[in-house]
Amino acid sequence: MKLKPIGLLIAGACLIAACATVKVESPTGTEPPLATEAVLASTPEADKCLACHTDKQRLIDTAKPVELAEAESKGVG
Amino acid sequence: MAPLEPWEKVLVDAGKFLPTDHGQIACMECHNGVQASEKEAAHVGLIASPSSEPEKYCGGECHSEQVATYPFALHSTQQGYWTALEARGGSHPALDEMFGNHCATCHTTCGECHVSQPKNVGGGLFTGHVFETTPPMTRSCTACHGSRVGNEFLGKNEGIPGDVHFREARMNCVKCHEGEDMHGTATDAMTAEVNRFAGTESPKCVDCHEEAAPNGDNNPMHQVHGDTLSCQVCHSVTYTSCDGCHVAVSETSGNPFFETDATYQTFLIGRNPIQSEERPYAFVPVRHTPVTADAYEYYGENLLPNFNAAPTWVYSTPHNIQKNTAQNISCETCHNGDASIFLTADKVRPEEMEANLSVIVESLPPMLTLEQTLNAPTTPASHLEHASNSCTACHTKGIRNAPVSPEDHVIYKDRNCSGCHKLQK
Ligand code: HEC
Ligand code: HEC
Ligand code: HEC
Ligand code: HEC
Ligand code: HEC
Ligand code: HEC
Ligand code: HEC
Repeated sequence: MKLKPIGLLIAGACLIAACATVKVESPTGTEPPLATEAVLASTPEADKCLACHTDKQRLIDTAKPVELAEAESKGVG
Repeated sequence: MAPLEPWEKVLVDAGKFLPTDHGQIACMECHNGVQASEKEAAHVGLIASPSSEPEKYCGGECHSEQVATYPFALHSTQQGYWTALEARGGSHPALDEMFGNHCATCHTTCGECHVSQPKNVGGGLFTGHVFETTPPMTRSCTACHGSRVGNEFLGKNEGIPGDVHFREARMNCVKCHEGEDMHGTATDAMTAEVNRFAGTESPKCVDCHEEAAPNGDNNPMHQVHGDTLSCQVCHSVTYTSCDGCHVAVSETSGNPFFETDATYQTFLIGRNPIQSEERPYAFVPVRHTPVTADAYEYYGENLLPNFNAAPTWVYSTPHNIQKNTAQNISCETCHNGDASIFLTADKVRPEEMEANLSVIVESLPPMLTLEQTLNAPTTPASHLEHASNSCTACHTKGIRNAPVSPEDHVIYKDRNCSGCHKLQK
């Protein structure tokens, strides 16, 4: 496979960045530990993350377009 | 690996994912964020890659076994890179910056083998967020290991067949590279592996092919060369080598990039630069790595001050195994004085000569035929008890009535004798 890792990386970075346009340090130590006993079953009605991430049209509408960053690397990596 | 649309990469398949164990856990338990209908508000404080902190998100009662060792596994430490840099004297702070820009992107999270495509190819959920026990070969492994191992294994180099294990047995990477190898076994930095070829061979061909070990079957090739040549010397074919890598940061975009001068197909047998009890082979196939003395020049002067301390033609295990190869057709292909498949000095660039002294083949294998070896007189059983293990000590001059070896034997060394002269039973 002929990868253009950097170009794709940029694309990927944009995508991930798109999910965090408001840059906030991840609060360390404040997250509750994984609920092991009382697991929270998700439903699209109850969970807004799930609602969006299972809705193709909303994802198409909100996904940042992949900027065609010209791959600057040359040769095989 | 087909490119995914941006939305496809992040589409969760509720029908598949929610019924699984991980699907029972709320998204925010792993990804943080905020319950909000607007994307930007919802993503405040988002943790895109929970498994980059495995002890926090994957450990606990669930995967404590993998979480205990993975931080010390090569996929996580990338120690192999550092071992190679340090072998050439590289220990400058500027190299840390270089590493962060160009190498760290291959640091692998649990999720990049079990949940979504590696970030360096743009990510994307494998199967609607299902955690796959078995990593998908082309969407995980060869997304990173593409240009050499992947192309060789899958037969993507023009005119060169893929690996017999893939072509005929439909084996994927993890049939040989099992979970334990990927997760590592060390639980502290002291015992962690220093590079991919440190210690025992893992996996080891004869673990599955017992019959091919010396004394396993009647194949004279296996009998004679079971531990002088690595299996790949006879069973692999032309593979990829590269030259002249340089890295830099783009002035226009600010992005790190690399350039390699040349990529070409070679098959060359060299001396084993890391011979050990665990890797006893005198000869192995060698691959040219694209490292150059000035590869990191962009970051500073002379960052690899001991460039010649490690070979640029390195020990390799090409992933295009075949039963029949051009070199294993007969004994004579290697024993006829033809140097074309051996890494002789004329094939090494002058500026890399010194670095490769441990690999360059100085004398070709002795001229011989199968008949000669089969007809060679056997060694008396009593020789087993010889205190001296030097055959030439007696047989060159005929000391103590020992038969004098023929003149053409001057090229043999002690360790060669038992290749033809088997001990009488
Ligand atoms: C048990 C922990 C866990 C839960 C629960 C979880 N995820 Fe993930 N998610 C991960 C991991 C692990 C990855 C892989 C990325 C990494 O860690 O490197 C991932 C990746 C993703 C990705 C990125 C895909 C990519 O490569 O671009 C998205 C989008 C995502 N998750 C959304 C969700 C949504 C929506 C939910 C709830 C329905 C959810 N996740 C629940 C652990 C979790
Ligand atoms: C995100 C990129 C990435 C992915 C995905 C990945 N690897 Fe690797 N792999 C690496 C890097 C980088 C190294 C080198 C680490 C070093 O030498 O320091 C490596 C090393 C290895 C090694 C040699 C070291 C060892 O641990 O034995 C093997 C074998 C290997 N990978 C197989 C696989 C297989 C099989 C898969 C799929 C299940 C896979 N890799 C997925 C990046 C990746
Ligand atoms: C038939 C068994 C087998 C299969 C299948 C296999 N490998 Fe390997 N692999 C090996 C052996 C043997 C070694 C050498 C191990 C040693 O010497 O310690 C190796 C070494 C490696 C290495 C380290 C050396 C190098 O060339 O960089 C990587 C990376 C690797 N394999 C990746 C993969 C990937 C990716 C796949 C699937 C595309 C794969 N392997 C499929 C047997 C296999
Ligand atoms: C380089 C790829 C790679 C990485 C990174 C990786 N794994 Fe694995 N994992 C594997 C392979 C290969 C298997 C075995 C698959 C099989 O047997 O089909 C496996 C199996 C597993 C299994 C199933 C074990 C069993 O006994 O059934 C679990 C659980 C697991 N991994 C968790 C993790 C966790 C947690 C991490 C991070 C700390 C992680 N893995 C990182 C490749 C990887
Ligand atoms: C995990 C087990 C496993 C490992 C490790 C493994 N093989 Fe195989 N190999 C197989 C299987 C299974 C087949 C296909 C069935 C067969 O023909 O034996 C095969 C087939 C072959 C064949 C073709 C046999 C034929 O009759 O056509 C050769 C040659 C071979 N392997 C060599 C190697 C070499 C060299 C290595 C090390 C680089 C290796 N194998 C590592 C399992 C393995
Ligand atoms: C000196 C060359 C040479 C070396 C070294 C060598 N082989 Fe072979 N191997 C052969 C030849 C020749 C054949 C037979 C091809 C045929 O029958 O057409 C063969 C056949 C095989 C087969 C097919 C099964 C069979 O018996 O026909 C397997 C599997 C195999 N070798 C594995 C290995 C493994 C594993 C190693 C390393 C321990 C190894 N070989 C080392 C030359 C070699
Ligand atoms: C793929 C190349 C290759 C093939 C095929 C090959 N050899 Fe060799 N042979 C070598 C090399 C390289 C050496 C030198 C090993 C050394 O210096 O330790 C060698 C050395 C020898 C020696 C000296 C003893 C020793 O092990 O060092 C004998 C005897 C020998 N080979 C016999 C044979 C016979 C018989 C065959 C065919 C059945 C054969 N070889 C096929 C490459 C090959």
